[in-house]
Amino acid sequence: MTPEHFLYHEAQLMDEARYDEWFALWLEGSTYWVPADPDQDWLSRRVSIINDDYIRLEQRVDRLKSGSVLAVEETRGAMRRLVSNITVTRDEGDEVSVESNFMLGIARSADQQFWMGRSFHELRREGDTFRIAGKKVLLINSRREMPLLQVLI
Amino acid sequence: MSTELKAPPPDYSKLVDGSRVHGSAYRDPEIFQRELEEIWYKVWVYIGHESEVPNPGDFVRRQIGLQPVIMVRGDDDKVRVFYNRCRHRANLVCLANEGNTSKFVCPYHAWSYSNTGELLEPTFDEGYDYDLDKDQFPLVEVARQDDYRGLVFASVAEEGISLTEHLGAVTEFLDLFMDLSPEGEIALDAGSQKVRYKGNWKYMPENSMEGDYHGPFIHKIAFELFARRSGLDVSTLHEEEIPDVIRSLPGGHMVEDYRGAPLAKRPGEPSPARKEYVEQMKARYGEEKAEQMLGTMAPLLYVFPNMIYIMTHIRTVQPISVDETVSANYPVMLKGVPEEINDNRLSDHEFMFGSAGFVSPDDVEIMERNQVGMHAEGDDWLFIGRGEHREKDMPDGGKSGHTMDETHLRGFWRHYISLMNGDAK
Repeated sequence: MTPEHFLYHEAQLMDEARYDEWFALWLEGSTYWVPADPDQDWLSRRVSIINDDYIRLEQRVDRLKSGSVLAVEETRGAMRRLVSNITVTRDEGDEVSVESNFMLGIARSADQQFWMGRSFHELRREGDTFRIAGKKVLLINSRREMPLLQVLI
Repeated sequence: MSTELKAPPPDYSKLVDGSRVHGSAYRDPEIFQRELEEIWYKVWVYIGHESEVPNPGDFVRRQIGLQPVIMVRGDDDKVRVFYNRCRHRANLVCLANEGNTSKFVCPYHAWSYSNTGELLEPTFDEGYDYDLDKDQFPLVEVARQDDYRGLVFASVAEEGISLTEHLGAVTEFLDLFMDLSPEGEIALDAGSQKVRYKGNWKYMPENSMEGDYHGPFIHKIAFELFARRSGLDVSTLHEEEIPDVIRSLPGGHMVEDYRGAPLAKRPGEPSPARKEYVEQMKARYGEEKAEQMLGTMAPLLYVFPNMIYIMTHIRTVQPISVDETVSANYPVMLKGVPEEINDNRLSDHEFMFGSAGFVSPDDVEIMERNQVGMHAEGDDWLFIGRGEHREKDMPDGGKSGHTMDETHLRGFWRHYISLMNGDAK
């Protein structure tokens, strides 16, 4: 599997709310980060939109799949994303860094919501496929007021 | 020329009938307009904290009602609130949400202003057929400005009660969260998260200051995760209704006062940083007060009309229109504590709050659905009567109720009606 195909696979799992399969892509000790300020340093004490270690990522998934999150009710089966502009920025042994853009559409009531951003994946080769060791997502609207973000990005 | 007489304003008292509130208060654009005039453009509105602009030239953009303003620390070290509007032809002089500048330059015709407000250069001023008096064109300061322990408030009304009178009894509760710092100082220096929702602004304070009534229903999974994380079971809080928790204060302020509800002790040995923090607090406030402050949750509070403090952060409520609102979360960092204490506050904050948090999105989703439900006008009344029979008068002139009571809402609406009828204070 190429990094490109892996990203498509991950996107499909997110779109179809296949939470367990998505979580299984992640390595223990991995981090998932969506900063509020795209320029902020990882180590700076600045608030993020998402700043999950592996334990909190599992909690995030458990919450989303619990069936009791109100904001999730409408979105199941109602979102698709395009993953594009994929660039491998580092390829050393088992470690691959990939950057990509995404555009996500979510149908909610009469509106369609659009989210856009750039993802930075740290991947590890595992057999024929990859696992995620870290992922950062820079949303184009992260500094601005945004609607609820209760889907996987 | 004929002068058209304005129709007399409707009697806004009719929006509240005993323990019922009329749906139009959340839905009617004319009522929203009246709220701007009688509430947002009369009373003290929270702008920000001085720690957001620590250095000369630092500024942040804010709004009072729909009016854009800038809070800026001038080169003279004084924090001022200006209207964000060029004196020439009313363009925004400041577009950035925050930053540092020695002068604000209007992009339209490049009129420039110092960070203390004086007009510096009107540009091509030989084109004016008189000697332009620069002193006549400074950035306009919002009429009244004051602060409480660094919390900056402003009012666009020339006259009105003082900030001290406006805050009244709520200062006791403002003190309690700011005193969580052993230096008695907070810092809003960790950035912000901003959430926009399609619903009326009043849902935010109403929902935020609600005790445990909605928790077991909409935050069920969040409570379970919190228990898994911390070893503390908070989901059973609602089984016991504690008196004097939900409070309304004179002036429309609301409080959730949990001082009578000690926190369960976290299992395990406290970290060295936690121990150090406890010692710092004891040294500053004495053993008894420190234990009381650290053994209970700092009261949650709402300062009418737009400032909320909840557990980890100051939250602002910014109306956009009758059915659209922005709320911004500013994590409150404590000055003088070990790093780990603030790191944990921020981590707790990210767990609960913001667009992707595990708690407040449940509330925001409810607010959006609330706005849709409000359009069903069959019986156009909301019922806020829980606990009315056992409501107690408090010495501060407010009222108190049990954990799940709607005492706070009744107080809010009493004050709201008095303002809407033009008795602004």
